[in-house]
Amino acid sequence: MRKAILMLTIMFALPAAVHAGYRQDFENEFLSKTWAGFQMEENLCISCHASEKMKPQFRGITEAWQSSWHAQNNVSCENCHGGDPRDAALAMSPQRGFIGVPAYKDVAEFCGKCHLGILAIFRESGHGKSLLSGSVSSSCVTAIKAGKKAPNCVTCHGSHNIQKASISIINEQLCSQCHSYERAKVMKQALFLTEEKFSRIEQRLLELKRESINVDTEEKNLFSTQEEFRTLFHTQDVNLVKSRTDEFSAKLDQIDKNIQTTYQELRFRKNMSGFLMLSFSCMGIVIFLISRRNE
Amino acid sequence: MWNKIKSWLDVRYGTNAIIQKQIQEQILDYRIPKNTNIFYTLGFITVIAFCIQAFTGILLLLYYIPHPDHAFRSVQDIMTKVPYGWLFREMHTVGSNLMITVLLLHMVTVFLMGNYKRPRELTWLVGGLALIVTMTFGYSGHLLPWSQLSYWSTTVVTSMPTAFPIVGDTIAHILRGGDHITGTTLSRFFELHIAILPLLFLTLMGIHLFLIYRTGISATPFGKQDTESRPLTEYTRKAYPDGYPYYPDFFRKQMYMTMAYFAVMFFIITFFPALFFPPEANIAADPFKTPHEIRPAWYLIAQYETLRLIPNKFIGIALQLFLAVLFLFWPFLDTQAEKNLMKRPVLRGVFVFLLAAWVVLLFWGRT
Repeated sequence: MRKAILMLTIMFALPAAVHAGYRQDFENEFLSKTWAGFQMEENLCISCHASEKMKPQFRGITEAWQSSWHAQNNVSCENCHGGDPRDAALAMSPQRGFIGVPAYKDVAEFCGKCHLGILAIFRESGHGKSLLSGSVSSSCVTAIKAGKKAPNCVTCHGSHNIQKASISIINEQLCSQCHSYERAKVMKQALFLTEEKFSRIEQRLLELKRESINVDTEEKNLFSTQEEFRTLFHTQDVNLVKSRTDEFSAKLDQIDKNIQTTYQELRFRKNMSGFLMLSFSCMGIVIFLISRRNE
Repeated sequence: MWNKIKSWLDVRYGTNAIIQKQIQEQILDYRIPKNTNIFYTLGFITVIAFCIQAFTGILLLLYYIPHPDHAFRSVQDIMTKVPYGWLFREMHTVGSNLMITVLLLHMVTVFLMGNYKRPRELTWLVGGLALIVTMTFGYSGHLLPWSQLSYWSTTVVTSMPTAFPIVGDTIAHILRGGDHITGTTLSRFFELHIAILPLLFLTLMGIHLFLIYRTGISATPFGKQDTESRPLTEYTRKAYPDGYPYYPDFFRKQMYMTMAYFAVMFFIITFFPALFFPPEANIAADPFKTPHEIRPAWYLIAQYETLRLIPNKFIGIALQLFLAVLFLFWPFLDTQAEKNLMKRPVLRGVFVFLLAAWVVLLFWGRT
């Protein structure tokens, strides 16, 4: 047997000496083999933009995108800019739908490819009309005269490092670049209570997720309600927001009720397994004591 | 009613005499050495753990659908819609990890007590194989919920054989049923988990119990000297006429340890229900989205970390295979009569080093 072990050791040791590899090689190979799936295929947009060849002002784009809400939701370069990130020759070809950087006026349409509901409402809003048809409301006159452009999506949301939208986007610093903050402040107040409910429910869903509960349905309901509600903001019509707040509040209450039911279920589970734990512990102790007494 | 059935069987097959004889011989007359401790019950606990796994697994099978399009949904339905589905899934998941823990502990204590030594070499070998089968049970079951955790940890585990030259890729290909983790992999792992491995485990258990029965229990906890003659020339079953009876004395020990096993299981389910369900376990498998941290289940982390740490990948996999072979065949190599590990400093040192290395690699891999 000892000889067999010795032979086995030699069998492993000899090819090991021939099969020289290094940790880096191994890790590279380990993480880039075909089993890792298609997502490991190289994205040419990212590799090129992150490379030294790129002009410095374009190099930060990939990093900004990587920390964005879009990246977290698998929205990649080609989803907005078109092109083919897998084909070096045609990566930026119009044949593959490459758009590149849209004109300032076209940004709303550019984002609206996905955000359809918001685009429709934005077109009808003061911001949208100023941008798309050039009709200027009284509050915009001063800004336009001062050489400001009417706002598009990027003005408030940014371009590549787009974060999950929240009520904090409405702030004095941003709004007062073009007009007084007063009207935006009233809008923010109208949104406030409902937004607070949104964040409270989000927090509770996160807690449930940590408890390993699947909350897909509630998350989807919350997301669609939130999107619908925030779409309203793009009208910049405070009265509309106020009039529909009750409707959204009822929807949120329903989601909250479902969450409450899940919490009750969790409490029941805890009590039941706790009861089983105590039952088995007691039985164990009783048997142990009987066993000791009879020894 | 019961008496009628017994009598019906007895007049035809003489069952009463057989049962009484077996109870008398195997339970009432069977004597256990006086110096046994609670660690002697760990083998029995493993059998109980397997029974729990089989029972809860059969219940889960009623609702589980082994198809990539439905597996995740069906598991979520078990957790949320099926009455008490959550309880049986928790018991199955926590139980699988506890079963591996108990079996590991069983092996370690048997090693420490020197109970693997002659004439019990085969008993150890079969037990070691059962441990490997149990771990395979674990990682084959890991894929079945088809979550991000399942998908990516299986990706990592099935890639480990690729470190082996020439045949490594073929092994990985056979395991996955292709280059990627797909529906074929799910079908293979499902078949392995519910059909092949239970049969293998039961066979090994049968052989293990038969060997224990034939050699008799070893009465050498913590360093009693080996009294068996050398070389072994004839078969003798180790008997303990001065020992205490299996029933009720040792049986009680087994029972309170079983209760302790259940209590630990429900303790985890009550206070740490998400211990084996990190957030990725609640997201459906997505081959296009790699989680930030990919790692296998805890019992394979040490092996995975070894592969990552050793610069030469062949040495990494060869070392592990070598250690596995050494572990399985150790009783054939260790022919010394001394069973007390405290009197064998080299072996003790190697054992402590390996155990410490395993623990360090485990925690290193988890952080």
